[in-house]
Amino acid sequence: MLKSTHKSVAPPPLPEGWTEHKAPTGHSYYYNAATKQSTYTRPNPPPAASILQSTPFDPSQSFLQYQTIGSPKPSAGVTSDRFPLQSHLQGRGAFHGQKAGRGGHYGSRNTRAQPTDKPISRHPIPGCEPWVLVHTKLGRRFVYNSQKDESFWRIPDKLKEGILALDQLRIKEKAKAQQIPTEPTPATIAPSAIDQLDKAGRGDEKIGDGELDSSEYEEVEVTDDEGEDDENPPKRQRTGDDAQDEQSEPVEFNEDDIAYQLAAMGEEYGLDPGEYDDGNMDEWKEGVGGLELTEEDSIALFKDLLNDSGVNPYSPWEKIVEEGKLVDDTRYTTLTTMKARKETWDEWSRDKIKQLRALRAKEEKKDPRIPYLTFLQNHATPKLYWPEFKRKFKKEPEMRDSSLADKDREKFYREHISRLKLPQSSLKADLIALLQAQPLSALNNATIASHLPPAVLSDIRYISLASDTRDMVIESHIQSLPPPPGSTEEEDSEEAAKARMDKLRRQKALEDRERKVAEEKRRQQRHLEFGKGRLREEEAEIARAMNVTKKGLRDHLVEADSTEKATENPHDG
Amino acid sequence: MPAIRHASKRKAPPAGFSDIEDDLLVFSNKMKDAENASSDNVPRHQVLWPIFQISHQRSRYVYDLYYEKEAISKELYDWLLKNGYADAMLIAKWKKTGYEKLCCLKCVQTKETNFNSTCICRVPKAQMKEDQVVECVSCGCRGCASSD
Ligand SMILES: [Zn+2]
Ligand SMILES: [Zn+2]
Repeated sequence: MLKSTHKSVAPPPLPEGWTEHKAPTGHSYYYNAATKQSTYTRPNPPPAASILQSTPFDPSQSFLQYQTIGSPKPSAGVTSDRFPLQSHLQGRGAFHGQKAGRGGHYGSRNTRAQPTDKPISRHPIPGCEPWVLVHTKLGRRFVYNSQKDESFWRIPDKLKEGILALDQLRIKEKAKAQQIPTEPTPATIAPSAIDQLDKAGRGDEKIGDGELDSSEYEEVEVTDDEGEDDENPPKRQRTGDDAQDEQSEPVEFNEDDIAYQLAAMGEEYGLDPGEYDDGNMDEWKEGVGGLELTEEDSIALFKDLLNDSGVNPYSPWEKIVEEGKLVDDTRYTTLTTMKARKETWDEWSRDKIKQLRALRAKEEKKDPRIPYLTFLQNHATPKLYWPEFKRKFKKEPEMRDSSLADKDREKFYREHISRLKLPQSSLKADLIALLQAQPLSALNNATIASHLPPAVLSDIRYISLASDTRDMVIESHIQSLPPPPGSTEEEDSEEAAKARMDKLRRQKALEDRERKVAEEKRRQQRHLEFGKGRLREEEAEIARAMNVTKKGLRDHLVEADSTEKATENPHDG
Repeated sequence: MPAIRHASKRKAPPAGFSDIEDDLLVFSNKMKDAENASSDNVPRHQVLWPIFQISHQRSRYVYDLYYEKEAISKELYDWLLKNGYADAMLIAKWKKTGYEKLCCLKCVQTKETNFNSTCICRVPKAQMKEDQVVECVSCGCRGCASSD
């Protein structure tokens, strides 16, 4: 999934109560005098705190605010949940993983919500003070507790009765307005408010979509971090309970309704489908098709990123996250949860370390005995005792190499000299025995005589014969050997080539996906802007028209009250 | 290698130390910061929290390197323990069932707590009320039961 908002921008302002400090070493840390918390991780302002104090407040604003805060700090959710140092802003719940899993919608949500919605009216809910019902420009509504500064998209049960009363009242108003078409509804009521009631009955058409999401999104508090979830219409699913609620009490207003609302308004305003945001994000997502990378690819892409970024596999994951080197790469977002990233990191670093150690072990095979034995072969002579030999060549690097003990050098020297006195035939037999002791993988008919295995080169028997005699013996032995078991070298390069191809393919799949998503987003945005622009114009006109006579309406309502029992509202039935 | 880096008595670290040296240095710096941080406005019982936490993280780092990733040799691991890069006592606890995530040794010492039992942070989250926030007094731990 794409999480394009992960680009880092300027750091957001600190939430209230937090101050930034510099440690002597230059690290920044943050301190909250009120809660006495300190952290190296820059705290994100809780969206609730700053927005709710401003009225009229705006649920889409809270979402926007959250967006500009941008990506949840990459470290959120990584470091040990055990300590408040890094995680005080995090709830104990498991919501974060969920959110990240749905991160693919960040971008699109952004474009959908930005230009549009804001509150246009507030109605005290009768009998439920201090709760008010707020309507937004796009015909959504939510409840707001002016005392507690809380707001909810989902209407708490205790308010339903009051809102029902409010709705009934409005329906009556509207009915009257329809009877006398020149009499406009009050400007404070959304022009399309009545439509919300209409479609309450239709909500059940979409219940089947609910299978993917669980009921955890049912109650979404706008003041919460998670408020953003509400901005994503198709994701807002309904449970069976909800549907029932709606059938009996037409006050529930959810994202499906908004989609319907928008469609209805679009038709009303003569827009073609597609010129308004039809809310079917899921559909276009599928329409773009084939964008999903397999889990395997996602993991591989993330590992590619790790390989390419040159991070130290020995480092703790928390440090990698804090450094923030990875987040800007699109491959970072192929894995959508911090848990998945950490798991992949663990796997990758374990393998990487293993590789590095194997490589090092190979290098260590450059045994210090090898150059020393070669040196002996060239310079040792029975004419010199060890102390003389040592003195004579004390300045040679082979005689000074500290990784070989002087004691060993002496031992090799004495052994070599004594072997030189043996008959050639037994030296030859010794050499052949040495060669035959080598496994076929190390020594075979493909072995180059100049690249003998270290086990041969570091053996005293290798230097006992004069080098030309010895090389002939070795060459003939090599020729008599079978080929190496499973030509490993070729396989290696074949494998490497395959790995390279795979990587290219993954990279391309990712790029394709990015491009298509970006295109799709642009298209959506164009349509959205266009549709919304038209709607705004139309609404402005309606508002102008409605501004005419409030007094006239009031007169009308009085009149309506007296006749309402007789004429049952067509929308109510 | 710089000649005068450690006290003359101390032996050079075993092979592999250079792989983790930088990361250990980061921990050391954090630790120094925490030790030098002003404790004004910090309740007395919380003053040591950052130190406990960094020490925990560093121990976990060393533990993972040796036991989880097999990234360092036994020799180097022992050397790290001996030289205070990880808390051997705490790691010994982690190897025991039920203590895999233990935050600090204080939290399993029954004597020091008010309740004459182990610390509140040892209680599994499943047994806590839904949104009960735990912060243990000794190290600021927010829950370290193995099942969490
Ligand atoms: Zn604990
Ligand atoms: Zn503790």
